[in-house]
Amino acid sequence: MNTAKNKLYLIVFIACLFGIIWLLYNLLHVNNQTEGLTVCYMKNITTLPCPSCGTTRSVLAILKGNFYNSIMINPLGWVIFIFIITIPFWISYDVLRSKSSFYVAYKNTEKWLKRPYIYLPLISLIVANWVWNIYKEL
Amino acid sequence: MDAQKVDAFIMANTKYFASHQIMNVRDMLLGMDESRWSYIISLEFKDPTTMLIISIIAGGLGIDRFMIGDTGLGIGKLLTCGGFGIWTLIDWFFIMDATRQKNLEKLLANIR
Repeated sequence: MNTAKNKLYLIVFIACLFGIIWLLYNLLHVNNQTEGLTVCYMKNITTLPCPSCGTTRSVLAILKGNFYNSIMINPLGWVIFIFIITIPFWISYDVLRSKSSFYVAYKNTEKWLKRPYIYLPLISLIVANWVWNIYKEL
Repeated sequence: MDAQKVDAFIMANTKYFASHQIMNVRDMLLGMDESRWSYIISLEFKDPTTMLIISIIAGGLGIDRFMIGDTGLGIGKLLTCGGFGIWTLIDWFFIMDATRQKNLEKLLANIR
């Protein structure tokens, strides 16, 4: 199970790194509101926003202290924000202390999420967010 | 385990496993206890081609990952708009192998 844990840590760490670089790029180089890059695969093909459209703008709003705006643009921004802040530290702690707390937590969360009474409400929330995004013409 | 039954199983289920794993699968099934046979034949595997189609259509929402059981990765894909489209593209190429790997894990879990 060593390699499965290492693979997971690598993937998640690179993902966080990528996210941080993306955020920094948007923070420093994209000044105009309308100049942002649309990376959403769904939006480019069907012109409809996906459930996580607007998360970049939302996280940028959080970083600027604009909490109300960040929820209005896309509440998932908060989820991503918390992940990006905590996960690199958690993984580094695990690697430095040779522990697997993140891996264990990840596996347990996966098991927990497979239960219908958990994933059905979560899916409805995502769909509701998606409909809201379409309504807002994000 | 009876060689004829094992060969029949392999022929019926070749597409669900990676080609380089088939010989290992055969050897393991041959060495398996007769009593586990009823569990093995009742197993349902995911079809890699179906997963590829799902990945192309709805991969941006992480649905392909959810369906093969990678719940965590599926959520990551969903939250990041298909990993900025890059993960969506990568998964088009990887999903078939990932499906076969998951099928193998399921089979192994039931052989022992």
